Amino acid sequence: MADINLFPLFLSLRVAATATLLAILIGIPIAYYLNKSNGKLADFFDTLLTLPIVLPPTVLGYYLLVLLGRQSTLGRFLEDTFNLTIVFTPTGAIIAALVVSIPFLIKSARSAFANVDPTFLKAARVLGRSEMNIFFSIILPLAWRGVAAGITLAFARALGDFGTTLMVAGSIPNETMTMPIAIYDALLAGNRDLANILVVIMTTVSIGVLYILNRLEKKGSRERK
Amino acid sequence: MLKVSITKTFNHFNLDTDFSIANGITGIIGPSGCGKSVTLQCIAGLKTPDLGEIVLDQQPFFHANKRINVKTKDRNVGYVFQHYALFPHLTVHQNIAYGLKYGKKSEKKEKVARMLKKVQLIGYENHYPNQLSGGQQQRVALARTLITEPALLLLDEPFSALDHHVKHLLEQELLTIIKQHYSGVVLLVTHDMEEAYRLCDHVLIYDKGRIVQAGEKKEVFNKPVNVTAATIIGCKNLYPIDSLNITEDETTCIIKGIQLNVLEKPLKKQPSYIGIHAGTIQFIEKTVQVENSFDFKIVDIVTGIHQTSITVQVNAIFIKATIPSSQIDLIKSENLSVYLPPEQLFFLNK
Repeated sequence: MADINLFPLFLSLRVAATATLLAILIGIPIAYYLNKSNGKLADFFDTLLTLPIVLPPTVLGYYLLVLLGRQSTLGRFLEDTFNLTIVFTPTGAIIAALVVSIPFLIKSARSAFANVDPTFLKAARVLGRSEMNIFFSIILPLAWRGVAAGITLAFARALGDFGTTLMVAGSIPNETMTMPIAIYDALLAGNRDLANILVVIMTTVSIGVLYILNRLEKKGSRERK
Repeated sequence: MLKVSITKTFNHFNLDTDFSIANGITGIIGPSGCGKSVTLQCIAGLKTPDLGEIVLDQQPFFHANKRINVKTKDRNVGYVFQHYALFPHLTVHQNIAYGLKYGKKSEKKEKVARMLKKVQLIGYENHYPNQLSGGQQQRVALARTLITEPALLLLDEPFSALDHHVKHLLEQELLTIIKQHYSGVVLLVTHDMEEAYRLCDHVLIYDKGRIVQAGEKKEVFNKPVNVTAATIIGCKNLYPIDSLNITEDETTCIIKGIQLNVLEKPLKKQPSYIGIHAGTIQFIEKTVQVENSFDFKIVDIVTGIHQTSITVQVNAIFIKATIPSSQIDLIKSENLSVYLPPEQLFFLNK
């Protein structure tokens, strides 16, 4: 019992948290743009962004390897200029988690933005506010429930990713082995006890995190019903 | 002084409007879908016209040829929306302060406090919009707009979301607040002629994206220029003229065998219709022999609390009259004639 290695747990949490943070920073502007424009380009983007939900994780991982591997142009560019290696590193795990989780956030946020009554935006414009200001003072607060649900979903998806992470980051113990992979690894090695303990930890942590996020969602949503 | 001269085509609808209005309250009246709200949105910059110009006190908001299109946020226009559009996640205080951009926090707070006093909402600062009654919401919407000291005030059907019994009360309230605290151009959109008549100084009658008639409210109400305008202002008695006879002393016209004397002399064009408002028709003793009085048969009576609509038939024409409900038994007594006062009849074109 004493020698349970908790590294996979902390790695998983770190990876999921970082990926979610990036998903918020990248995903919310994309959702805002998709909601605002209804051109062909927006439709194309929307389809492209839905793809990670539909594609098998291994296929997604394969694409990421092709795109960001050391042989690819992009991969080499990143390695040469920023000294950043993606494949078989925790960074790779973050990228994998980001790609699998961001569609959930974008979808949720986009439909939440679309549900904001456009009259409120008109009223805010007439009252002299800029579009940026309106986004933070009206759209985000009114769409908060949907956005928060998207963040929760994205975090859950990032925390639980197995296939894509395995493809991109591998399963190097104490380096890139996340919790789901560690559980698989323990089971494969016939270590049933370790697998059980890891599963219980994972379940507890997941429930705990979701509870906190739910509380945040309720707190953030100040709209009186 | 607001000058609007714009065209806009969308969804097979064509708006083509041209008017200038002075300070005071002007009403835009018309059936739904006639382009009245679109006109307001173009003035506020929420929609962009295809052609033309919008100028407020020499300051252009929009000029198609000069490629001027001032952004909504820079037009300083006050706009009260149909359902008020109060921000549901902000308190009354926050809603009212929303339009205040500059100044210290304490100054803003003081301004909001003064505005709350003006609209009699002291004590409601921390309420959310859904905790207020319709009338209170309207006052918050008005306060939120007036606090920005707008160069122009636009009201889009401000009473349509209210219960009938509070409507009259709030009309007066709104009128008082606006008259006391605002001196610029006010443009009010409504589909209710009665409401427009009570609130406005001038009216513009809209139909299918065009202005049918514009002018001082009494003038427009007493003398609609054509059948469309007459219908929109609620005139129920409109008859095509069969023949018209104008002499030095009098003007008479015949509609379906009935001869009517008219005080008014028709101008230029040969009018094709004659009309009279339901409220100006009288019932007089049969023994009084005057022109324009006829025996009648009662066709229909719709009794209201104070006012009763009565439809009577004279030969082949139907005349709708509005009388106080207390007089209904008198009219049923059969000793009366229906009387169309010559000075109340007006000519109009199709």
